[in-house]
Amino acid sequence: MVMTTAREDIIGSIRRHLATSRPFDAVHGEHRHFEVVANQALPVENVTDVRKLLDNFCASAEMLGIHIEIASDEREAAVLIESVIDRTGAKKIAVSNSQLVSEVTEIIETVEFTRNASIDFLFDSDLGITSAQWAIAETGTLVLEAENEDHRLISLVPPVHLCLLEASKIRQTLGEILELTQANLGHAMTFITGASRTSDIELTLAIGVHGPGELHIIVLNDR
Amino acid sequence: MQQLTAETFDQNARAALRDPVLHGALRNLADNFVGRRKNAIASVDDWEGLREKARAIKEETLLHLDEYLLKFVESAENAGAKIHWARDGKEACQIVIDLVKQSDAKMVVKAKSMAGEEIHLNEALEKAGIEPVETDLGEWIIQLAGETPSHIVVPAIHKTKEQIADIFVEKVGIEKTDNVDVLTKTTRRILRERFAEAEVGISGVNFGVAETGTILILENEGNIRLTTSLTKTHIAIMGIEKVIPKFADLDVFLKLLPRSGTGQRLTAYQSLITGTKKNADDAGPEEVHIVLMDNGRSRMLSHPVTRQSLACIRCGACLNACPVYQQVGGHAYGSVYPGPIGAVITPQLIGISKAKQLPYASSLCGACKEVCPVKIDIPELLLHLRAEITDGTAGGSPDNPERKRRFAESLAFKMYGKAWSGQFSYGLGIKAARLMQKLIVRDGKIGKASGLIAKLLPPLGAWTAWRDAPAVAPRSFREMWKDGSIAEARTK
Repeated sequence: MVMTTAREDIIGSIRRHLATSRPFDAVHGEHRHFEVVANQALPVENVTDVRKLLDNFCASAEMLGIHIEIASDEREAAVLIESVIDRTGAKKIAVSNSQLVSEVTEIIETVEFTRNASIDFLFDSDLGITSAQWAIAETGTLVLEAENEDHRLISLVPPVHLCLLEASKIRQTLGEILELTQANLGHAMTFITGASRTSDIELTLAIGVHGPGELHIIVLNDR
Repeated sequence: MQQLTAETFDQNARAALRDPVLHGALRNLADNFVGRRKNAIASVDDWEGLREKARAIKEETLLHLDEYLLKFVESAENAGAKIHWARDGKEACQIVIDLVKQSDAKMVVKAKSMAGEEIHLNEALEKAGIEPVETDLGEWIIQLAGETPSHIVVPAIHKTKEQIADIFVEKVGIEKTDNVDVLTKTTRRILRERFAEAEVGISGVNFGVAETGTILILENEGNIRLTTSLTKTHIAIMGIEKVIPKFADLDVFLKLLPRSGTGQRLTAYQSLITGTKKNADDAGPEEVHIVLMDNGRSRMLSHPVTRQSLACIRCGACLNACPVYQQVGGHAYGSVYPGPIGAVITPQLIGISKAKQLPYASSLCGACKEVCPVKIDIPELLLHLRAEITDGTAGGSPDNPERKRRFAESLAFKMYGKAWSGQFSYGLGIKAARLMQKLIVRDGKIGKASGLIAKLLPPLGAWTAWRDAPAVAPRSFREMWKDGSIAEARTK
């Protein structure tokens, strides 16, 4: 008996069973139809005006209970960060290695920000600050690419996540974002839409089960 | 807890119908999910067009599943992921166990995976001396209770808040509470400790993109992100039907799945993982393993009707919409896949002879077909499977009493068809029926009241046990027309 690998067996089984279905498929003529529909473009809402995109993004974010503020420059953003720190009483603060986060946090001299935080630090931290590479207006979603910024744990482990976003990075639809990110797809990309939540107990909403219970977004209007 | 089996659906369902606590828990489902879904789909311009497109993408993929799978494997391997192939659940479990042992881990954190439930991975891990820790809140509750999930999306839907609090008091040692936030915070505190010590994380996969080798996993809690970014080794279990051709296709499925499943425009988190990190200092696992599992899936490709089953994206909308599921809950189905989709997938996965009652666990009302985001014609599938059962293709040996009964039934229907298609034999039949029914008619109806029908014709007794049949009228319309009594009645 010839030994076959699991891969050969599974691919073989797929081909054999598809061959059995071919006569039925020929009768139904499905194939052509499916190919055409599968490649049809969906109707898209085309929004290019930056002002409108920002409005749409804010509206979607607010619907999800996200705290969103608009800053006209880095200084204003720094003030807004300070007020979040004051209100949450955050002491241990982890920041990502993004350019934008450095530029804004450097302005704040009274607070210590920790870069390249260890996992132990993160587990004990009060606040994580990152930026986002893109955002989706129709759903209020932040798009973070690990290749550009070490966001994976900083945006997840601390109980509060604060994210800086450049207004020019907002697009209306998920489809546009997929198109923009595909060419330079890194090993991990995360879409974040609101705080961590669950409805596993009697379908009652509870916030902050495994991830942050609070999400703050500060949009920099001039960038 | 005793595990229910698919073979005894009728019994299981009857027991479930007598369980008032279960009904209290399930009432939330119809009240909550059904309305939320309706609102969420209203935010899409062309919901029907979207469903059509999703189905077409799935159908196109399934018709070339070999090509798309091999393309996915090539892309994922190029990005640094390791691919493993598992013919069945046993092989898949063994692959996972070997990988865990290679990394010397004694415990693993698990993010919810229906494929993992399907192959009873937790049991296999425990037998191999590895402690599996479920981290999805619902799955964790179920694990603490020693039960199985009863819903694809909300595993502990059958439990009330009080029951869950009691489990926490007993297993975790907290004070009794009826505050959901306290229960949630307790879960966070305890599972954080487990995450901190975990070296291996196991997850499922919602979509695998052939073009890029990306796996996408959706969630709301953040436990999947922790499982896949805090550990050194990430093992993803992926049914072979989860592959989709293009990265852009995610657009379609990310619009459909959250809206259908939980009534959200998008769930809180999507993790898109494409192979491994290139920079050792980055957060995230050093190794990403993807276990491609067949386990009875490839044989569903052999007919266009059964092939539809593989288009399922596990949203759970058909469970929420199903009047049978709403009454009996998930455990009655005796399978990890309950509800309408379970009634068609389970018999195909475990063998139809082991789940013969499931294709009948439906009134064929079609609510499931209406809500399905990928337009699976579940009633058509149910009928297809019923036909397989009655044809005897699933009945085992020809001496099988079940098969003999089916033969008698089909003979009776043939004779009935013949008699009723000729005018003379029809008239004769009616006359005979009019005479014979005198024995069994009560108050103008043939039913349970007389009890005789069950004694005289046992197969018909099953019918009249639940509803009455009208008695044959003393005179037919034709007879009244012929002798002019219709015209008389009109002129009066």
